[in-house]
Formats: sequence, C-alpha cells, structure tokens
Amino acid sequence: MRVINGIDATNMSRLHPDQRAPLWWGILGLITIESAVVLAFCVSYLYLAAHAEVWPPSGTAPPLLWPSINLGLLLLSCMTMYSAGQGINHGNKRRLAIGVTTSVLLASLVLVLRTKELMAYDFSWQDHAYGSIVWTISGFHYVHVTSMVLGSTAIAILAWRGYFTRERQIGVVVDTNYWYFVCIAWVPFYLLLYWGPRLYGN
Amino acid sequence: MTHQSSRVQERHDSPQEIEQLTRTWHSPRGFPGWFTHVNQRMIGRRFIITGFIFFLLAGVLGLLIRTQLAGPEQHFLGPELYNQFFTMHGTVMMFFFAIPVMEGFAIYVVPLMVGTRDMAFPRLNAFGYYIYLIGGIVLFGSLLVGMAPDAGWFNYVPLAGKEYSPGYGVDIWTTMITFIEVSALTAAVELIVTILRLRAPGMSLNRMPPFVWAALVMSFMIVFAMPAVIVSSTLLILDRLVDTQFFLVESGGQPLLWQHLFWFFGHPEVYIILVPALGMISTIIITFTGRPIFGYTALVLSVVSIGFVSFGLWVHHMFTTGLPQLGMSFFTAASVTIAIPSGVQIFCWIASLWGAKIRFATPMLWVLGFFAIFVIGGLTGVMIASIPFDTQVHDTFFLVAHFHYVLIGGAVFPLMGALYYWWPKFTGRLMSEAGGKWSFWLAFIGFNITFFPMHQLGLEGMPRRVYTYTAEMGWGDLNSLSTLGSFVLAAGFMVTLINAVWSLYRGQPAGENPWNAPTLEWATASPPPAYNYRHIPIVESRWPLWDWQCRGERSVVTGLSHQQREIVITSVLDADPVGVQILPSPTIWPFIAAVAASSGFIGLIFHPVFFVMGFFLVFFALVGWFWPRRPWKEEA
Amino acid sequence: MTSRRSSWLPIIVGLPSISLLSACSGVQSSLDPAGAAAQLIADLWWPMLVVAALVTVLVLILLLISVFWSYRYRSARPLSHRQSRNLVIAGGIILPLSVTIPFALSSFSIGRTLYAPPPDNALAIEVIGKQWWWEIHYLDKNGDRIATTANELHVPVGEPIKLLLKSDNVIHSFWVPNIQGKTDMMPGQVNVTSLVADEPGVYRGQCAEYCGAQHALMAFLFIAEPEEDFDTWLEQQAQPAVAPKTNQAVQGREVFLDSGCASCHSIRGTRAQGDKGPDLTHLAGRRTLAAATVANHIGHLGGWITDPQHIKPESLMPPTELSPDELKALLSYLEGLE
Repeated sequence: MRVINGIDATNMSRLHPDQRAPLWWGILGLITIESAVVLAFCVSYLYLAAHAEVWPPSGTAPPLLWPSINLGLLLLSCMTMYSAGQGINHGNKRRLAIGVTTSVLLASLVLVLRTKELMAYDFSWQDHAYGSIVWTISGFHYVHVTSMVLGSTAIAILAWRGYFTRERQIGVVVDTNYWYFVCIAWVPFYLLLYWGPRLYGN
Repeated sequence: MTHQSSRVQERHDSPQEIEQLTRTWHSPRGFPGWFTHVNQRMIGRRFIITGFIFFLLAGVLGLLIRTQLAGPEQHFLGPELYNQFFTMHGTVMMFFFAIPVMEGFAIYVVPLMVGTRDMAFPRLNAFGYYIYLIGGIVLFGSLLVGMAPDAGWFNYVPLAGKEYSPGYGVDIWTTMITFIEVSALTAAVELIVTILRLRAPGMSLNRMPPFVWAALVMSFMIVFAMPAVIVSSTLLILDRLVDTQFFLVESGGQPLLWQHLFWFFGHPEVYIILVPALGMISTIIITFTGRPIFGYTALVLSVVSIGFVSFGLWVHHMFTTGLPQLGMSFFTAASVTIAIPSGVQIFCWIASLWGAKIRFATPMLWVLGFFAIFVIGGLTGVMIASIPFDTQVHDTFFLVAHFHYVLIGGAVFPLMGALYYWWPKFTGRLMSEAGGKWSFWLAFIGFNITFFPMHQLGLEGMPRRVYTYTAEMGWGDLNSLSTLGSFVLAAGFMVTLINAVWSLYRGQPAGENPWNAPTLEWATASPPPAYNYRHIPIVESRWPLWDWQCRGERSVVTGLSHQQREIVITSVLDADPVGVQILPSPTIWPFIAAVAASSGFIGLIFHPVFFVMGFFLVFFALVGWFWPRRPWKEEA
Repeated sequence: MTSRRSSWLPIIVGLPSISLLSACSGVQSSLDPAGAAAQLIADLWWPMLVVAALVTVLVLILLLISVFWSYRYRSARPLSHRQSRNLVIAGGIILPLSVTIPFALSSFSIGRTLYAPPPDNALAIEVIGKQWWWEIHYLDKNGDRIATTANELHVPVGEPIKLLLKSDNVIHSFWVPNIQGKTDMMPGQVNVTSLVADEPGVYRGQCAEYCGAQHALMAFLFIAEPEEDFDTWLEQQAQPAVAPKTNQAVQGREVFLDSGCASCHSIRGTRAQGDKGPDLTHLAGRRTLAAATVANHIGHLGGWITDPQHIKPESLMPPTELSPDELKALLSYLEGLE
C-alpha cells in the first residue's frame, strides 16, 4: 500500500482561542448539562407549587429588592467580564486583568449580599416543601457563584502575571463563558422565586 | 478534498521518527505510573474490564436470587439479604455495567474509528474512570458489610426516605448515583467533542461509521437525561441528610416528583444502553457480509429519532399511579411510535443480510441471537404501552421478562458480539471460534429458558421483588425451570470468560485486519501502538479500508510534531482540517481530583460539612490540574 | 454444513407451548377473569399474543431466509436498492404502523370503559395499605365508616364497587388480577377505582409495589358472594365483638388486654383501641392470617402470636411471651371472635 503525503499540518496553529478549541466545546457541554439541571430545578419548583394549597405557605411572596439588586450586580459583572475578554482579544493584558478582577469583586459582593439575604429568610428548609426548594435553589446558585469567583480569581492571578496573550487565552474564553452562564442562570430562578408568586399567587 | 502538496509525494518513515513518536506517547509502567495514564485505549480498556467484573458480580447476585426463587417458601435467603441482592443486581447492572461498558467500548474504539490519536480531554477521561472505580468499590463494599441499598434500583420515596429506610443503605444508593452521574457525563462530553472535532480529515458526517453515530447519539442522550436524576438524587440526599421536605406529604412534599424526575432519566437510560448496541450490530453486519450496509441514512436517522423520542415516554412507568387518563394516553401513543425507528433498523439489517455471503463467525452469531430475542422484547414492550394491559402486568414477572429480553437481547448479545469482534484489535489475539459458539448457544438457550416462563408467571399474578411465594400459588414449576435456565445462561458467559483468558496465551495471533473490515481501527497494528496511527489518515469514502484496497494507495496528514502529543482538529460537518491540538501527557492530577471529589461524595453520607470540604479540595485539585507550567505554550 | 437455525426452531416453538400448558387458571391469574375489567383486559391479551407471535415468526422467517441464501449460493446475490427500500418501508414503517395504530386505538377504547367513574350509589370501600397488611373500611352513603376489617375483602357479586385506595406510609399497590388491574396507593392522595365482580368465588390479591421487607407476603383475599350473603356478612362486621362464652375465653380476653396486644390492635366493644395493627374484632371469621400468608387455624395463630418473625421475618409485630395456659386462653378467646 503506497502512503502519500496528503495534508501538511506543520504550519497550522497550535493555539486556538475560539470555537476551534476542544475546550470551548467542553465548557459548552458543561453549560448544557448545568442548564438542564437548572431546568429540572425549575420544573421541580413548579411541580411542588402546583400541588400546594397555598404557595408560599406563609401567603406572602418573598421581598423583591435585594434579589433584584443582586441580579443587576451579576449582569454588571457580565459586562465587565465581556470587556475583559475584548481586551485580550486586542492584546490588551491590562484591560483583561482589570476586567476580570472587577468581575470577581462584584460577584464577591453578590455573595456577601446573598448571605445576608439567606440569613434573613424567616423559614428553614426543614419547615415545608417551599422552604426546601427555595433554599436548595438558592444554595445551588450560591455554590455556582462561589465556584465562578474562585475560578476567575485563578484567572485573574494569571492575567496579572501576563500569562494570557491574544492567541493563548482559551482559559479566559472558558472562564468568561462559564461566568455568563452562572449569571444568566440566575434569571429563571429569580423570576420563579420572586416574581412567580406575585404573578400567579394562590 | 484538496491536497496541500501539489506533487504527489510518497511517505517513508525513518526508525528514529517512530522511536520518538513512541516515546512521546508512552504511558509509564508500574504501580504509581498506572495512576497517571491518560491514553484513550488505556482508559477504555479499564472501563471495559471493570464493567465486565461488575457484570459477573451482579450476575452472581442474579443466580442467588434465582436460587432462592426456585421453589416456594425457601429459606436460602431471608428478606433482608434478598432485598439487598435484587436492589444491587439491578443497580450494578444498570449503572456499573451497562453504561460504563458501552462507554468503554466507545472510548476505546471511537478515536480509532475516526482516525485520531486520543480523545479531546485525556485527563478528564482518566478522571471519569477513577470516579467510576471508586464509586463501584464503595457500592460493593457496602454489600460486603451488609449495608447495601435495599429499596429497589429505582429507589422510590417514601420507602427510600429517612423514616422507612433508616441506616446507610439508601445513602449508599444516592452516593453511588452521584459517582455514576459524573463519570457518565464526563465520558459523554468527551465523546461528543471527539466525534465532532477530531475526526480524520475527509470524514464528513455522512462518512462516519454507524457505531460512531450511535456513540454520538448515546452521548447527547446522557447529557440531557442525567440532569433529571442529578436533581432527584440531590433532593433525596437533602431529605435524608438535612431534613428537607421534598418527599414528605405532611409538609407539601410530593412522592410522585421523584418518579417523574427519575423516569425522565430512567427511560432514556435504557435507550442509552441500547443505542450503542445498535451501532455494534451495524458494524458487525457490515464486516461479516463484506459489503456496505443498506440504508445508511435510514439507520442514522432511526438512531437519532430513537434518541429524541425516548425522552417522551417516561410516564409509561407510572401508569398505575393514578395520573389523569388523558395525559397518560399521550404516552401510550408516544411509546408505540418508537416501534417505527426500531422496525426500520431491523429491516435495513435484514435487507443487508439478504443474499449476502455471510461469514458465520462468533460475532455474527451473537447478532443473529439479538434478532430473535430483541424482537420478542420489543413486542412485549408495545403490549405494555397499553394502559389497561399494563395495569395487569406492571410490577410483575411479565415486566421482568420484557426488560431482560430487551436489555440482554438488545444490549448484552450485541455487546458480546462486539467483544469477540474487537478482541483481536484489543489484544492481538483471536478468541477461539469453538469456544465462541459454545458460549453463544449456551447463553441463547439458557436465556430463553430463564426468561420466557416469566411472561407466564407475571400473567398468573406473580409480582416482582418478592423474596418468596406460597406453595399454593402454583408458581413453583415455572420458577424451577427459570432457575435451571439461569445457570445455563451463566455457563454461557463463563465460557466466554475462559475463552478470553485462554486466548491471551494461546489465541491465534491476529494481524491488523483479521476480519477484512472497512473501518479505520483496522488500519493499524493489533493492539495499536500508543500513538494509534503512525500518521493521521485522510478519508475519502464511507468504507476507507475497502476504498484503499481498491486504489492501492492512501493519503495521510504530515507535519505533526513527534516531541509533543499532537492531533488534528477538523470542522464539524466536512472534517476540513482547521488546526492542531496539543494533548496532555500522563499526569497524576486526574486521580487526585477524583479522590478529592469522591471524599466529598462519600462524606455526604455522614455530614453536610463534607460537601464544603469536597468543594474546596476539588477546587485545589483543578488548580493543580490546569495551572500552566513553564515553559508556557507558544505557537508551533 | 447444515443450517444452524433448524436446531433452535423447535425450542422456540416448544418453549411457549410448555409454559402455556401449565395452569392458565389460578386464584391470582389475570388470564382467569372473574370481573368485568379483567375480562376486557384478557380479551385484549389473546389477540395481542397472536399478532406478536405472527410478527416474531415473520421477522425470524425473513432472517432465516436471508441466512439460508447465504448457504445456498456460492456468491452474493444481494437485493437491489429498490427491493431493499421496499422491504424496509413494508417491514419498518407499514408493519409497525398497521399493528400499533389499531392496538393503541383499542387500548384507548378499553381504557375509556375501564376508567369511567363509578356510579354515585356504588358501595364505597376504603382500603389503606400498611406495612405489610391491608386495613379495610366499609363506608355508608355519607362516607362514614360502618365496618372495619383487615386482609379480607368481601363484595357483592354484580354490583359496582368504589374503592378508595390510600396509604399513610410508603407506596403500595392494590391488585386482584382476577377482577381488575392494579392501582397504586400513594401517600398524600386518594386513588379511586371502580370494579365489578362477575362471578362468586374466593380470589387472591397481592401488593404490587415494593414496599419494604415483607412486600412478598402482603396479600389478601377478595371474596365475591351473592348479595344476601354479603349483606349478612357486612351486618355482622359492623357489630362489636362477640362476648366470650367460656371462662377460658374470658381469661383469654384479660390476657389480650394485659399483654400489650391492645397497644396495637383494636377489638371493638373492649378497651382495646390500638390502631397500629389490624382490627381483630371478627378475627375468627377470616380465612387467613398475616395478610393471607397462612391459613387461620389455631396452630398458625398460636405460632404467629408467640413468634411472628418465624412466619414473616422483619414484620412489625414483636413476639409475645406467654405461658402455655395464657396462650391457650388467649387462643380460645380469639377463636370466638366470629
């Protein structure tokens, strides 16, 4: 069998900061899986609500102010992350480092505010199904915000050390995509937990 | 398909190049080195071997169950042990054998079949295996200390809640599920990315072998089905660990929520097990008829539509729970429609076999056995899609017969065929044909003797999950017959085990392509070298090896480095080369991360603080895993 | 080389015959219908079986033929593309559709009959699944309980019955194959089902949803009897317990009340009001013990009381230590509870 030179890969790029990278697809896979988990939690919430006599059991919907502020902060942090990504796309390492750090600080602030909010809940997860699902969804999202803060801190450290370049930035791409997912995942939860009872209150 | 060199240039390899390539792709030998392996063939082999070990263990549990049921009112196993055994039999078969072994075949074969050197995320691959292994050890350990789960493999609440199952048994179940979720999802994402981005140049989607399509569909199904069971098992863990009220009716909890979430996963799960087997059947038929399969497009579309439709059937597991009739009727209609893609595949295969010069080697026998058994199982499946009929046979031995017909006939028989088929590629040796035939006939006959009478038993009123039955029921004779058959079936599988071990020492050496198959994995040595292919092949037809035999020549990709692990990235639809990916070398971090995650999962059985501990341990393990080492990667 | 297929054809044909030859009738068989619902379902089963057998045989014959051609001819003679396509359309699309559509339609039609709600004046019986026995209450027109028993259900032949199926613990499933299909007993909801028994007889039902350690021995008797007999029986069940007639029986009642039995069991008309175990007011009239596990005669009853774990390991009834005299007295009291 004769073996012929077909394609020459010598000059092909070895660094891919975009969809060509397998890792980009890997994080998309993770986001897809987690989105399905978010959906399953939402379905569980709706199922429990549909079978309840009164939802929430106390009769009053939870307060709207701080969750809305947190939503705003998370969306703002998406914008700073986006700016960071644009920065490194143009080779601007400083803009990347500042953008990521700002996002980390904003999300850390969200964690503090959420902690205070959770501690102010007047029901426990042990009280009833409503308490259980609200605490679980809150905890699920809280853990994800924590993970994105931790991960992005690592990215920020590397960014300040000048590791990322226009070509070598798949880590940034992966981190920003995960960041967008965690922030946007808050939207359906926010709507279900805080607006749902107001719009369809029993 | 354009060649980048304008002049056709023959390729000759120097021994130094080959030696360098071997060193770059080498996996360390010896004990600590074993924990650093990342090559897909190593990991795939581990999944397959571990999966078959669990198959044997769960099979022994099955024999013990059958022994207890052989006659009425026997005292071989009391209810406590029996209930653990049937729960473990189902749990281990479904979660620790069926999915991992199918994944294992996919992990081993798919990268070879698509013409690449490793999977997209070699370290994640290893991580997924260690998670599976540790989970399996925990589960089997629980059986040895008498703490195994005993609420059935689908673990309904409220029985599985803290009040009615105190003790650690059900906690072991919920932990085990967590391990398997993570392991299956990592393998699924890997397979999807490998199949979509790492195919050999020229292997457009419509040139992919049917087994690769099946692996792709299976992986997408895992991605969309597993989250439902992740959520349901999380809710149960929380109920048991910190007293949430998800499934306790007094506080607004809903036991049916468990069933909806579990079966939304559970129904696609059985098709996740079936779909790769369907790919194996196509593969074997193609090779042993020596011609392209009829209806490639129809087969691919059927497998894809099975993947989609299977998500719309789950309520047929809940027909007796008191849900509204009208809603449930939709699921009857959906459940029968799955007969159509199944039927299309069966008849494409029959059309392919018709008039072909079939070689009746052992793999082909297992495929023929599949037809006989799976068709019966599929037909009883259509029957139980009827709500009225299901109300009589649900939770009886009729159902036990049905699902063993579709699972053993539909998945295990093709799997055995695939084992015999790819064994020469895995090991370089052929298994004995005589042994293969003995194994097949014992298994086929034993299987039917074991499970056919169960249809009758179910119709005569024998419920499932019973550790005994009274003498006046008259079920003793058929049960004895069934038990007898189970030992014949077991003997059939034992013959394959002996055959496999024997062949490692005395089997006829297989060359590169002992079956004259057309797919890429047969274009390299048996077993393949660490780098799979000396050169990444370029593909110009659906049946590359037959194509090359006709033309007498083939093209390859050149220019990949021998100093680091490099593979080609290609586009999704047409597999045009777009770049080169550098893959990681052996490393201990996947193992460390797996131990970190496992400690969290296991700790959750005891106290919520372990969640926090596990979270941070995994974070640090991931930092170790991903932190860039100097020298930082530059452009090639 | 002989055809490999011919040797297993007899097995495939013989096996179903062997298993079908064994009893088609039985006290718990869905193929021996004695109720309207079970009859409809059995009427669906036999045609389904025939069609399924035909389809199986058809597919296997086609397979055999395709394999046979391989032996017969030296070189391959495959089907043309058109022939293959037609085979796939006929077998893979037309055949499944022509089987599944009529099947689904007849299933829906049977379902509409089976699941029509019971008439308002139907006799209402409340059955509560327990671990691992059946608590049964007969209700009057207002839904009040008029009689309570356990593990043995009587109904009048030919009358529509409304069953209210409940559970206050885990999921169970109420199933009398001779009469109707099963319905689960779900905590937190009431599943209503209606049934009619067509023929008098003693049938057996069994729990059909795994409910824990003794799911296997959680059965009950379902007795369909002519209306007058049923009325007499119900009348008697509604009465409080028969007073003990002999001194030994009177002593037995004291043993019952003093040995802890009353903390779980109730005997209406005495101060035993326990609600964790079956109501024993008319125990002697029942044919079985321990949820249809053993026949109700004195040996079994004595054994059950002194060591229930021997008959039904893991059941929730603890053993009771009694002296031989106490036991004899207790048994003579219980035997009198007609």
